[in-house]
Amino acid sequence: MSPSDVADALQSRFPGLSAAPPDSAPSAFVQPGDLHSHLVFLRDQLGFDYLVFLTALDRQAQGRLEVVYRLFSYRTKAGVVIRVLLPRDGARVDSVSDIYRTAEWHERETAEMFGIEFVGHPDPRRLLLPDDLEGYPLRKDFTHPNMIRLPEVP
Amino acid sequence: MAGDSQGFLLTSIDDFINWARKNSTWYLLFATACCGIELMQTGGPRSDFERFGSAPRASPRQADLMIVAGTITYKMALRAKILYEQMPEPKYVVAMGSCAISGGPYVYDSYTIVRGVAEIVPVDVHIPGCPPRPEALLHGLMTLQERIRGQSMRNPGGAA
Repeated sequence: MSPSDVADALQSRFPGLSAAPPDSAPSAFVQPGDLHSHLVFLRDQLGFDYLVFLTALDRQAQGRLEVVYRLFSYRTKAGVVIRVLLPRDGARVDSVSDIYRTAEWHERETAEMFGIEFVGHPDPRRLLLPDDLEGYPLRKDFTHPNMIRLPEVP
Repeated sequence: MAGDSQGFLLTSIDDFINWARKNSTWYLLFATACCGIELMQTGGPRSDFERFGSAPRASPRQADLMIVAGTITYKMALRAKILYEQMPEPKYVVAMGSCAISGGPYVYDSYTIVRGVAEIVPVDVHIPGCPPRPEALLHGLMTLQERIRGQSMRNPGGAA
């Protein structure tokens, strides 16, 4: 497929696709329930065979967590960003580790840093944090007694 | 002094043992972060660590010096303590770089960084720097050698 075919297919599948900012890819918001089927379509039909990364953002103003999936295609050199909005309490989304194996570790890190549950993940252990740390460090409202404030210099 | 009066033979043995120990401080490869790169460079050709007899060992059972080169997190602190306890006596610890001395640039806002490896294992020599140059690490090794030179069989583990 040519890059223009891919662009047309993306535009038809995701009507709300936003234009690509410089050095990035077009992004689309999807519903959490449809995420798995959308990613299967992107991998099998449009050739996005590489999950570059999977991470989350804490949209504190909207009170939501946004999970970001960046995909890339080695064949057509096209990229796309898929975003999912989740509530801050009880954030659950289907795991995509059965579609892209690399998502296993990305989802483990995102789960422990933001408190998102990836349903169906084969190995939901902690990846980077010590076992006794409580809380979700990359949320904007996280604080810990170890975090000492830098003293004010007059 | 009374202790030295019996001492010519024992001090000669002390000197010989200390000379042997200080010129063969085999160090455990314990490079965690950027200081580890400088540790590798100190073993490189320009400032050669091994000409002081200090060979790198991968196993703590064969090492008598642990150079803590890099940042220690709480998750890593447990493993660092286990490795330190697996080293046979006499053993020495060198804290290389500001992360190992005091937590370094992470001393204020970090929730997972141990503020200095001295909270985990007893440290003999601190080498400041971020990262210390290879010459600074060699100076730290020579400081450790001075400390070893002053040790005595009659008072093992005492201060030099």
